[in-house]
Amino acid sequence: MLSVPCPWCGPRDETEFSYGGQAHVAHPAEPDALSDHEWSDYLFVRDNPRGPFAERWCHSAGCRRWFNAVRDTVTHSFLAVYRIGDPVPEIS
Amino acid sequence: MTAAPDGAPQEHPSWLWRNPDPKPSYDVVIIGAGGHGLATAYYLAAEHGITNVAVVERGWLAGGNMARNTTIIRSNYLWDASAGIYEHSLKLWEGLAEALDYDILFSQRGVLNLAHTLQDVREGIRRVNANRLNGIDAEWLDPQQVADVCPIVDISPDTRYPVLGATYQPRGGIAKHDHVAWAFARAADAMGVDLVQNCEVTGIDVDRGRVAGLRTSRGPITAGKVALCAAGHSSVLAGMAGLRLPIQSHPLQALVSELLEPVHPCVVMSNAVHVYVSQAHKGELVMGAGVDAYISYAQRGSVHTIERQMSAALELFPIFARAHVLRTWAGIVDVSPDASPILGLTPVEHLYINCGWGTGGFKATPGAGSVYAHTIASDAPHPLNAPFSLERFTTGALVDEHGAAAVAH
Amino acid sequence: MTAVSARTGMTLRLEPQPGEVIDRNRPLEFTWNGQRFPAYHGDTIVSALAACGERIFSRSFKYHRPRGLLSASFLDPGCTVQVGDEPNVRGAHRRVEPGMVVSAQNVWPSLRYDVKSVNQVVGRFLTAGFYYKTFIKPQRLWPAYERVLRRFSSGGVVAKDSAHGYYDKRYAHPDVVVAGGGPAGMAAAVAAAEAGAAVLLVEEEYELGGHLRWGDAGQLEALRELRAAVAAAPGVEVMTNSVVNGRYDGNWLGIVQRNLPHVVERLVKARAKTLVVAPGLIERPYVFEGNDLPGVMLSTGVRRLVNLHAVKPGQRAVVLSANPEGDAAIDDLARAGVEVAKVVDGRRGPTIQRATGSRGVQAVECADGTVVDCDLLVTAVGWTAPTALLNMAGDRPVYSERAARFLPSLLPDDVLVAGGIAGDGPLEQLTEHARAVGREAAGRAAETARSLCAGIPQIAERRAGPPDPEPAVALPELPVEDHPALFFSGTRGFVDFSEDVTAKDLIAAAEEGYDSIELVKRYTTVTMGPSQGKLETVNAVAVLAAATGRTIAETGTTVWRPPYAPITLGALAGRIFEPVRHSPMQPWHEAAGATPLVAGAWIRPDSYGDPAGEVRAVRSGVGIIDVTPLGKFDLRGPDVPELLNQLYVNKWSRLDVGSVRYGVMCAEDGVVLDDGVTGRLAEDRYILTATSSGAATVQEWIESWLQTERPDWRIHVTPVTTAYASINVAGPRSRELLGRLVEDVDLANEAFPYMRVRVGRIAGVDGCFMWRIGFTGELSYELHVPASHGLRVWEALLERGADLGVRPFGVEAQRILRLEKGHFIVGQDTDGLTQAYGAGLGWAVKLDKPDFAGRTELVWQSRRDDYFRLVGLQPVDGSVVPPEASQIVLGRGIAGRITSSRMSPTLGRSICLGFVAPSLTGPGTQVTVRLPDGGEVAATVMPQHAHFDPEGTRQRG
Repeated sequence: MLSVPCPWCGPRDETEFSYGGQAHVAHPAEPDALSDHEWSDYLFVRDNPRGPFAERWCHSAGCRRWFNAVRDTVTHSFLAVYRIGDPVPEIS
Repeated sequence: MTAAPDGAPQEHPSWLWRNPDPKPSYDVVIIGAGGHGLATAYYLAAEHGITNVAVVERGWLAGGNMARNTTIIRSNYLWDASAGIYEHSLKLWEGLAEALDYDILFSQRGVLNLAHTLQDVREGIRRVNANRLNGIDAEWLDPQQVADVCPIVDISPDTRYPVLGATYQPRGGIAKHDHVAWAFARAADAMGVDLVQNCEVTGIDVDRGRVAGLRTSRGPITAGKVALCAAGHSSVLAGMAGLRLPIQSHPLQALVSELLEPVHPCVVMSNAVHVYVSQAHKGELVMGAGVDAYISYAQRGSVHTIERQMSAALELFPIFARAHVLRTWAGIVDVSPDASPILGLTPVEHLYINCGWGTGGFKATPGAGSVYAHTIASDAPHPLNAPFSLERFTTGALVDEHGAAAVAH
Repeated sequence: MTAVSARTGMTLRLEPQPGEVIDRNRPLEFTWNGQRFPAYHGDTIVSALAACGERIFSRSFKYHRPRGLLSASFLDPGCTVQVGDEPNVRGAHRRVEPGMVVSAQNVWPSLRYDVKSVNQVVGRFLTAGFYYKTFIKPQRLWPAYERVLRRFSSGGVVAKDSAHGYYDKRYAHPDVVVAGGGPAGMAAAVAAAEAGAAVLLVEEEYELGGHLRWGDAGQLEALRELRAAVAAAPGVEVMTNSVVNGRYDGNWLGIVQRNLPHVVERLVKARAKTLVVAPGLIERPYVFEGNDLPGVMLSTGVRRLVNLHAVKPGQRAVVLSANPEGDAAIDDLARAGVEVAKVVDGRRGPTIQRATGSRGVQAVECADGTVVDCDLLVTAVGWTAPTALLNMAGDRPVYSERAARFLPSLLPDDVLVAGGIAGDGPLEQLTEHARAVGREAAGRAAETARSLCAGIPQIAERRAGPPDPEPAVALPELPVEDHPALFFSGTRGFVDFSEDVTAKDLIAAAEEGYDSIELVKRYTTVTMGPSQGKLETVNAVAVLAAATGRTIAETGTTVWRPPYAPITLGALAGRIFEPVRHSPMQPWHEAAGATPLVAGAWIRPDSYGDPAGEVRAVRSGVGIIDVTPLGKFDLRGPDVPELLNQLYVNKWSRLDVGSVRYGVMCAEDGVVLDDGVTGRLAEDRYILTATSSGAATVQEWIESWLQTERPDWRIHVTPVTTAYASINVAGPRSRELLGRLVEDVDLANEAFPYMRVRVGRIAGVDGCFMWRIGFTGELSYELHVPASHGLRVWEALLERGADLGVRPFGVEAQRILRLEKGHFIVGQDTDGLTQAYGAGLGWAVKLDKPDFAGRTELVWQSRRDDYFRLVGLQPVDGSVVPPEASQIVLGRGIAGRITSSRMSPTLGRSICLGFVAPSLTGPGTQVTVRLPDGGEVAATVMPQHAHFDPEGTRQRG
């Protein structure tokens, strides 16, 4: 059971959250300009790293806010939590 | 015991496989000595005469998902493409012990997929109808027929998840996962395939768009062809060759109970409530849970996933309330966007990919191995795996098996 | 049934012992294999039987060898029994109760039957390494094996009519959890509590105290003091007969609690700030020929039996002792009147060779060649550190040659160790160390609490965390004492008693190529039995190390997995807390005898007994249906049209106040996600509706867009699904009925035409809104009434419309009505690959919008024509209703399917919607429908989806 550090409510059990997958995958500003491969990448391909991963969470049974987090996919520890729209923090 | 077998079984051989150091060069190197990797090596040697092959494995033989799955075998998938490859696999299962000369405890005890909602019923019937057109033994059972097949399922209508019916595949069943791996390993080794354990791949060399070799913890290996077969670790390996794959790695948990007298005659699965249950020969219940939501390489999941699964399982099987869970564990499954595997060529020449089986790779072990071997040997997909190309995510020809495969095996 | 009387039965019961846990004033009786036995309160099942002279409690899994007491603890592998309908009960742990019905498990052919007879029956299977080892030419023999395997199954019995029992769950948020209530655990708990921490002290046995309980007078005195300190410490909650079963991410602990009255088991889910692991040490069996005979016991087992339960463990004993615990057992035996015939000192070289006997130990052959007649052999050869919780915390314990056991290595900050798992030393030193660990645990917990509060300023101000910790003091180091490395004296002994695996099996496995510990484990099943390696792992590693010429450290161990102790499925399941949702009109539906339909979380009326009649009422007069589950969202703000334009394929910019529009939502891959109508109630207020099953998804989708993609849009979203009760009033006389109840809205067609919304008062209820839409194809009004008044409006409609023949109708009638009208249902008539054009929604897709979710894919689909399409279908024989999900075939291939089908009461014939291949979409095309029974019927593709009133005149009237 992860303890997810909601930036608005504090750490809460994972069961209160829904998972949003990779962060910083914005809907393309000009979808028409994309090639088939670029569009397919946007639609289907996500990073799947072993280690730190910037991902989205929504505190769906709490404040219902989306936020970003960097979590290590091996240790499961949260290395950073930050607002949507902010850049990925440097992880030392 | 009534009928004693005619003649005592032969003693076990003195060794099952060699434990070689890697040679500097191979025609084909398969990365990952799980069930699929070992089966691929076997079929490369047995059907294509390619024996200058190494299977390199980071840990020990079949110690990843092969050691962690719930061993369910069936072929009743919805789409023609899926039915083709899984039924091919099931047919191979039916002759596998004989072909490999090794007992795999394959037990065709039948698989039930329960329906709990009208939507489940429609999807189940659709699948049964499609299966029958594809020559797969599939039946639709009403609740009473479900109880006839599996008397311990609670079919009373006042449960939270009432049983409205089930699809039934009598030829489905279970096998002993470790034995399957060892059977393929032994047979491949006997034909000259090198099974190299404790050999972690640290890099894949690509030269002008073509794979050249590997760097490993046991030294560099040049390879004419490289075949990825690493399930949850596929993204990391593909990344070494500059590829991004449309898969995500998630924990999938399972558990076994303590031993019980035989009480559960078949395999029961229920996608809607994330449960699958069988009873192994020895007497333990083997149960699988749903996939944890987050990406993970940790081989551990969260307990609430198991709690939710048990809650649903006991609604179906109140008889098991007092059984004890002995051990839980997790594997890392590689989930694709359409819940179907990716099996074929890659943009890198002579680099092949087999991944994305999600929760259901075990049942495909011989089938995937045989068509993957064909793909590697002829540098072109077999008709059965052609629909499962990496390209389909660009062309849009998806094979959506969420209904048949999303959770359960 | 024979009875053994309490007075004469307990022939091996000793005089009262200073530390005994039995209450001699409370005798009781229970049955064992159908025979009545006496016992005292406080006895375990097996101590009571042992007091009466019983020595065999089970038959082993594979070879059906008789098994007796070994450790006299929860882990005792030979003492698993059936209690009533409860399987696999640990008989050396479970306390006996009056009238308890206990029987042996795995006793085919019987508990007392001689093993040689069994061997005659199945001997050939046993010798070759039965079951897990493998055979050549298997297919021919497999059926025979499978039959034998069934006979050999050795588990407990579960019965279908078993009482379910009550299982419970609890959440806890302690500062410090101490796993293990021995002296170190108690000392750590007290120290942590005195430092201000809220402490949960968890002990597997029925009382605190660990090994002090079977100690000498001095240790019993120390036990009294520690128990008093625990009782006096502020904020220590003690859970006995409970086990910390697993340690997960973020120090989330699963604890199984068994000491509650009327609760079979409770799963306590504790998020601990610090975990102190103090489980003590587990005594390790010795591997030698005959080491599984009843009468071979561990020194701790003997000491428990004598001191806790006052049972004489035998008459004449040989003791192999390599440590002080073994030496103490010698004293206990002497005091219990057992003749100690020989003591073999394991610290001084060779030990014992074998034990012999048929149904129990009769003689022991020592390494020096002497043979001693005896009925008891006690071994004290060393310890296993139960590092399972440390493993789960990421630790990889290292083997200490000196201590001959594994020791912790690298622990995360929130996990500490105390007691024997951490090191050695006299009691005072161990408790002093444990106190320091307890204080440190409290300090780290306080630190964690402060950092948690610091992240949320508004909380930090209000609530102080735990008090400041003492200034940091380095934890004292515990010494590690020398212990001889004694694991096995030969290859014929059992390494795993539960799984019947001998040292020889392990050596053979290594020779065959299974030379890693994980492969050996899987091949031989060593350590995979009920105690999950707590007794067996180190011996298995030692045997394998010797067989492969490696050290124990090089060989390593297997990974311990949760749970630490078995937990019932019932405790994991708990009670079902999955809620169901009802509309405010549910009491009325139930009173009316409606057939319930489970639709996701909602329970709603499927019908009121006569769906066809309900359909006719709607077509000819007026009907009402409860559509409360419809997802409803209140959207406010100037940028709502931007959002709608982004989420729906349709255009929304010119939706006037007072109008509603039907919209289709697609995911980015162009697949139909949801549909529904959205109305504009005021300049900046909209109500968006979603399908009942899709409401949660749509809400997340909207919020995701607003929060992550377009935070600049000024929009507030409020889910109001349950704030309004929703009623659809449908039928040619719906306007007439509504006119009797609506006070301030002009219902005339010109004033309130089709696809418009009005706000007003209905049946005296203010704040209602109603829109004129037509899922059924009839003139109809969908009323949305503040939920608390839903039932009142519902009843008013029925009462005031009685003379119009108003009838309630259920979901089944609605399905028929909408199918007659050709309206599709997302998820039923579409699937996970259905893009908008395939569903026949091309008219709604506005590709000239610069962007919307799914547009790219839909542009692509719009240029093709190779996709299956949803069409109206009518079987040529109108009396046949092809079941939904019947396949449409073309030659030998699948060319579509029926997605919806019903007999139409209105048309008197069967009607369908279905998907067909591109070549079959032309109106008038005849297709072949394969029925589930294998038969085939012909059906005709219709020019449009609607089978009834395709022009839509009725709904506009």
